Amino acid sequence: MAQGAASSLHPVTPQCPPSPSSSSPAVTKGLFILWAVPGQGGRPLQPPTLQQTQALVRHMAEDAQELFIFYEEDQRLTIHNNLCRTNHPPDWLRGSVTGPRGLRALWRTMTRMAQVLQNITRHQRDLNPPGAEILRRLASTHLKVRGLLSNLEGLFLSPSSRPSRQPPPGPTAPTKVFRQKLEGCRTLWSYSRFMAKLSTQLEARSRHEHREKLRSQRGSQLPARS
Amino acid sequence: MMNHFMVLAVLLTLRTCYTTYLEQESIVFPVTYLNISKDLALQQLLVEWDVGKSAHDAELAMSFEIQVHRTDENTTVWTEFHNITLDRSGKSLRWIWDSDLPLECMSHSVRIRSKAEASKIWSQWSLWETVLGLDTSNNSGPQIFPDEKIVEEGSDITLCCIGRKGQIIKDFILATDVHVLNHTSSQGQVRLLTVKNVAHHVPHISVCCQESSNGDRYCDYAVFFVGKPPDTPNDFSCQTQDMKIVTCTWSQGGDTYLYGRYSSKYTLFEEFSQKPVLCTVSCSERCSCSWNIGQQRICNITLTVENPLGKKTAMDVFDVTHRIYPAAPLQLWEECTGTEITLYLEHQNKGIELFCQTELLQPDGKVELHNASSDLRVCNTITLGGLQPYTEYTTRVRCGAAKHFWRWSEWSKARTIRTNETTPSGKLDIWREITPVLGGRNVTLFWKQGTSFRANGRSISYEVTWEKVEDGSKPEKISFSSVYNSTRISIDNHSYRISIIAKNNVNYSLPSVLIIPRATGTEEVKEEQVNGTDDGIFISWEPRHTYDSYIIDWCNFPMFQPCDLQWKRFEPNTSSALINSAAFVPGVRYNFHIYGSVANSASLLEKKTGYLRELPPLPDPTVEKVELSFNAVTLSWDSYHTNESQPGFVRGYHVYVSPTQENCNLKGSKKHVLPDESVLCKYTIENPEEKRYTVKHLLSNTKYKLAVKAYSGGGETPIVDFIYIDTPFNSNTLYLLALLVIVPSLAAAICRWKMKWLKEWCCPVIPSPNKSKVLSFKEFKIGSEKVLATSDCIPDMLAVDNKVEAQNLHPWSQLSSRPTEDKINGHNSSWIYPNENEERHLTPRPTPQMHTWFENFAYSSLLSAESNPYQIPETLEAIKPELAAVLYQPHYYFDIYNEDAASTPREAAGRKTSLRYISQTDVRCLGRSL
Repeated sequence: MAQGAASSLHPVTPQCPPSPSSSSPAVTKGLFILWAVPGQGGRPLQPPTLQQTQALVRHMAEDAQELFIFYEEDQRLTIHNNLCRTNHPPDWLRGSVTGPRGLRALWRTMTRMAQVLQNITRHQRDLNPPGAEILRRLASTHLKVRGLLSNLEGLFLSPSSRPSRQPPPGPTAPTKVFRQKLEGCRTLWSYSRFMAKLSTQLEARSRHEHREKLRSQRGSQLPARS
Repeated sequence: MMNHFMVLAVLLTLRTCYTTYLEQESIVFPVTYLNISKDLALQQLLVEWDVGKSAHDAELAMSFEIQVHRTDENTTVWTEFHNITLDRSGKSLRWIWDSDLPLECMSHSVRIRSKAEASKIWSQWSLWETVLGLDTSNNSGPQIFPDEKIVEEGSDITLCCIGRKGQIIKDFILATDVHVLNHTSSQGQVRLLTVKNVAHHVPHISVCCQESSNGDRYCDYAVFFVGKPPDTPNDFSCQTQDMKIVTCTWSQGGDTYLYGRYSSKYTLFEEFSQKPVLCTVSCSERCSCSWNIGQQRICNITLTVENPLGKKTAMDVFDVTHRIYPAAPLQLWEECTGTEITLYLEHQNKGIELFCQTELLQPDGKVELHNASSDLRVCNTITLGGLQPYTEYTTRVRCGAAKHFWRWSEWSKARTIRTNETTPSGKLDIWREITPVLGGRNVTLFWKQGTSFRANGRSISYEVTWEKVEDGSKPEKISFSSVYNSTRISIDNHSYRISIIAKNNVNYSLPSVLIIPRATGTEEVKEEQVNGTDDGIFISWEPRHTYDSYIIDWCNFPMFQPCDLQWKRFEPNTSSALINSAAFVPGVRYNFHIYGSVANSASLLEKKTGYLRELPPLPDPTVEKVELSFNAVTLSWDSYHTNESQPGFVRGYHVYVSPTQENCNLKGSKKHVLPDESVLCKYTIENPEEKRYTVKHLLSNTKYKLAVKAYSGGGETPIVDFIYIDTPFNSNTLYLLALLVIVPSLAAAICRWKMKWLKEWCCPVIPSPNKSKVLSFKEFKIGSEKVLATSDCIPDMLAVDNKVEAQNLHPWSQLSSRPTEDKINGHNSSWIYPNENEERHLTPRPTPQMHTWFENFAYSSLLSAESNPYQIPETLEAIKPELAAVLYQPHYYFDIYNEDAASTPREAAGRKTSLRYISQTDVRCLGRSL
């Protein structure tokens, strides 16, 4: 089933809006989210297209990078170089999500990420006044993760095949404040790397399949010419 | 004997006392037991010690000196004297010391010594008792103490970083730019960092400690928070709406900079029941907490606010029945008449006697508060009276407990209500404008709703009726809708009675009446000027006792037609008014007519005219005529208007003339300095009808610039354009000039024309001696020079200069004819006038006794004009010394004028005084004579 869902990652028709860049204004991003996440903005819930999901991943990759940079600076974790930028991401952000069981793996990763973002937000509430920028950004990223989860669930063919929302148990969170900050920072770094890699892979795959399709179309047209 | 015994007894007693005293003074009770421990949570050092049982038994008052020593710092960091009176229980003694440095950072030691208060001697110090710091333990890496401490803003904090044994702390820094004191232990294993007067910059501050060992990096991080203890809750009070649910509210106070789990926590405690209040605190603008008090009527609530840095409390003791804060009443519906509104209310606080207040918002924005005295439990209505008919009011109601009033409820939702229509009240304010026409008059009638008039209805209309006063003919009538406020009727020259009434859906108003008197001849009323002020135009008139009111009318827009006629009525005892209108603008002339009215018939009394504010006249007078003479100019601007078209009353004119010099010196003018600091002469004409002016005392043949400006009470506009004039030459000057220039010129011309004649007359031609007949002989020649023998010439006239000096100076001066001397006027020249016919034969002799020579004046004159004697070849030739020494005088002649050329100074000096021209005989004559 997952394979089938993954194989449906074909570019059907070019319906995508212009790719949002990190420099796009907030309004553009908001409109983009409305388009990319079905059910947003009070529209009737419809299954997402793969293009929407792919575009959402690309946008989330940019958002994850911005969140990490802001978090690292806001928490004064640039005190030592590469304090956060670990080469050892947690296991759940390490595996491939583009293989035959890619969608399910991605769903699990995003479920875990949503839980981790909640933990980070809870820790940060002890450190920041209500309405602080870091809390706003974390909430925004959390919403995007939930949006991607929603899209992924919509891509599963039958509701029965959808995985349950129960998150897998995570490791015990550190109790010391600095450890919590550092843990959160490292997770956000690994998450940004993960999303960047995922976006790149999806783009490459999309281009490859597009080329294949064009090739097959040319092949079918050749006899007609002769 | 007896006495002796007594003395001995006293001495013995004294000795015993003294011995006891000495023993007490020297007695010591050393510390027999000392134990110290540390409370890391509170960062306290707990010290426990004891002295001997005998001290307890004696219940001695004792002093203890306690010293605290830090191992690493090698100094006593604290000394304290602790006084206590021992008891018989024998309990050991305790003392607690708060450490400013985390006790983990290094080892702390304590020692104590004691002294009975009666004694002067301190015991020996106890041995040091030590609690070890973590610097002595084997750490796996550097450790920072304290971690996650919450520090009050403005206090100091000292942190330490303990490295592994034998390791040196490389860095111990804050992740925030804060001034710190940083010092290291002697071994370098422990490093301290002190932040003085910590301030809240960021929500929390991270600390980093790093040791460096063989290239491996070991780090530890910690966080501390800077905050403030909570403020005491403000405005803490509790109230109820229904005497069951009590709600306490309070203000939060300032920011503590502590958030989440470190933020301030509120708890409520009921003191009478000694139970915590089970309620959920919610805070937005204010904090509140509600709970059910059941049957309890008197409460003592303590609110505690607490955060890690402190705790504050507030208290409220109250009787629930005195804290009733009713719910906002509900306005169900209302009933109206023309002057009353009755509100029907519903309130939720059944069984509570309420007192309500109604707010009435009037159309003009005024707010009235009406207190309702009725008990809403009995009658749920409130009646508001004294209202205006057909007027919109906005009402809302609030209530409070009638007994033990605590505070008003919230306002009910506002409702807008309109009272009913009634008959129009008062009279319309009416006025008229009469224009005579052929065979009668046109009367324009105006009406307005004055302050005393109220329409009292939605649809108002007007009815105008007029009739002849004398014969009682049938009245004429016209009706107008509410949009009209004027009409024009034509009447003949008889007296008329005009009435105007207003009508609404209910009824008519009282009529307003005007009597137009019979037409008579127009009476001229003089017009006076009035002045405007910032508040309007002030009008005054002569009071007359015959009138029952005065009316002033004017046009808001006097330049337009219709001009928007306005009028204002005044009481009979009034004689002045300040007239203002939103339409009044500066620079417009307004005309006011003052009427006296008696029995509805008005007659014109006075006319006034004035400006709200005068402006400078515009445009400038156009100078139409300029009459110019060599020293005056006359300007005229006859067509300039000074009427109501001007933005101010024209008071006169200024004529400006540019001066020829910097200072104005034209007679009769004043100096006027322009903004660019250039100077003009200013003449003032104070009569606006005098439109001609002559500027006198100008200079002839001079360029002037002039300007004419009209001025009013508002001044005058800046000078922009000038008239430029050039004064002509003065003819007298011309005549003088002619005399001085033309006559000499003519003379010069004539001279030029007759130059030859004049020259010949004044300066005859000088014949060349060489061409002279005199020298046309061939008898004797020396070199190129001809020598004339005197015997060959008979001179007409001969002048002889005989000087002794000359004779002395010149060797050849001895060559002289026979001496003939005749002194004239003291001069030693001798003039000889020989007979013309006398011919003398003179033979040349080489040694003449007297030197004689000839000279022609003309020749002499030429020489004097030509100062360069070298131009005369003959004289040049004469310079040759060999010749000069022999015979010929021209050499000498030359020397007269060029004394330096060939003579010695001495010779020259002699010649100056002695040599003179000598002959003026015509050469021709000479030649002939010779």
